[in-house]
Amino acid sequence: MTSPWPLLITLAYVAIAMVIGLRARGGRRMNSLEEWGVAGRSMGPVTLYLLIAAGSVSAYTFMGAPGWAYAKGVPVFYVAVYLAYLALVAWYFGPKVWQFGERFGHVTQASAIADRYQSPLLGALAALVMSIGSIAYAVLQTIGSAYILNVMSGGAIPVWLAVPLVLACIAVYLFVSGQRAIGRTNAFQGVLMLAVAWAVGLWALHSATGGLDVGALFSRLLAEHGDFLTLPGGGGDMSFSFWTTSIIVSMFSFMPPVWTQWMSASSARTIRRSATWLPTYYVVILPMVVVGFIGIFALPDLARSDTVVLEYAMQFLPVWLVGLLGAGTLAASMSSSEPFIHSVALSWSKDVAQPLLGLSEAFTGKLARWMILPLMALVIAPLAIAEPGSLVMILLVGLGFATQVLPAFIGMFLWPRASKWGVMAGIVSGFLVTVAFTTLWKHPLGIHAGFWGLMLNLPVFVAVSLATRPAPAEVVERFFRIAAPNGLTRLGGAEKGRAVEASVLGRE
Amino acid sequence: MSSRLVVLPTSRAGWGLLIAFVALVAGGIWPVIGWVNRAVLVLGLPLLVVWSYVIIFACFAVMLVANRVLERQEKPHD
Repeated sequence: MTSPWPLLITLAYVAIAMVIGLRARGGRRMNSLEEWGVAGRSMGPVTLYLLIAAGSVSAYTFMGAPGWAYAKGVPVFYVAVYLAYLALVAWYFGPKVWQFGERFGHVTQASAIADRYQSPLLGALAALVMSIGSIAYAVLQTIGSAYILNVMSGGAIPVWLAVPLVLACIAVYLFVSGQRAIGRTNAFQGVLMLAVAWAVGLWALHSATGGLDVGALFSRLLAEHGDFLTLPGGGGDMSFSFWTTSIIVSMFSFMPPVWTQWMSASSARTIRRSATWLPTYYVVILPMVVVGFIGIFALPDLARSDTVVLEYAMQFLPVWLVGLLGAGTLAASMSSSEPFIHSVALSWSKDVAQPLLGLSEAFTGKLARWMILPLMALVIAPLAIAEPGSLVMILLVGLGFATQVLPAFIGMFLWPRASKWGVMAGIVSGFLVTVAFTTLWKHPLGIHAGFWGLMLNLPVFVAVSLATRPAPAEVVERFFRIAAPNGLTRLGGAEKGRAVEASVLGRE
Repeated sequence: MSSRLVVLPTSRAGWGLLIAFVALVAGGIWPVIGWVNRAVLVLGLPLLVVWSYVIIFACFAVMLVANRVLERQEKPHD
């Protein structure tokens, strides 16, 4: 690629994102966890909608998903379905998480876990292990960002230089404006991604078929590659069981940045309104996936399927659109890596360093802000440059673990009798199964490793909880006044909707 | 503390919403997904793609209704 326009357009996007991120601070002091961590719990419904939407749409949407369509076909749509289900999860749990944060001062997921089970050890454990998946995710997105800069510059910016460039841009506005920068930049990135995805998709469809009739494309696909239109797909590896269990496991992965995003809302109602509209954003996936399908005929011999959109754009689309695609893909990867970097820095400071070293709240606020620098320089940048082959594996295991934390949330929202030992036993047993079925014996019987983990995790969690002492009654009552404002229900009994004071404490 | 105490809906509207949420999730997984797993085109798109977006927009619609229900329930306490 010889034209300078794609790189200039991509760099223009970076410059705009930096200005927006820096201005997001608006003269506020950013040394407190409340401000830097959760934006003073101030975000309105539109910002929150775009924050969560752009955060969940990563470089995967612009590269991985079209690549799946190119290599496998319609199985890629499991992603769109589970993202919509995550909106249901946000609608139900988000307002309760916000209330916990607002009343009890939580700024991280792990601090809520530590508080519910009265166990800083459990909180620190959750923070550390959740950060494995979070860091792997941030590294993968950084690799995607560096790859885009490399391609848009025609190879002039090597990956080893692109990685620190991208991270430095993020570090500047993240340090200055914290969660407010993430909110504002994600809002900008969310709008940009939607516009770019549809512009590229429609232009590609027109260039491939001579019109905008998507039926012509899929009629040809039906005739020549009918297996791409149904499960298990072109690769033959997306069975009904894998589709189903992948959706369930992904749906119950309560990732820490999402938790922080919920706590950044201005009210519980704001979260419900944002979550309601969230599924509408996932129309962003369709045009990108269509380009992947076009690539099956236009680029039949691609070595790497996840380059299908970029390759198609560079061969068949005008340079200005290639530049916008670069900006859109970079926006997707940056908007997803920022929340994870922020969340890890916040959690390491609040949930690990503070209880371990007995730090004050004020010092912890400053530490969280500075923590992003060593995290980026010493962990994310070296990993992104080295691109270890095991990174995707670390990510899969990390995400598998995220699902294994489910008992902690069951005990927070649904079952007051859960104990910290029950949660720990469930997490450890589920994690071991997930690791084994991700690395040694991959997804036995076509069932997702994380789902196998849950099948052991949940019975162990219940059994050990029943055998051990629950958290103090006043703590349980404090949480369940929010989780069950109309009272609890006795399974197998006639007493329903009783006052929470009586039912939670067992004084009925 | 009783081990049999759990959080469940306490009103008819709450149960309706829970059933709607479960139906939405059921609609996107097996066995329902098996019934729409056919190599036919609807509106020019594969049936599975159309069904995925039906589920996605149904989620949106159910949450819209759920907001109305909640607001109606909260009003008497305002």
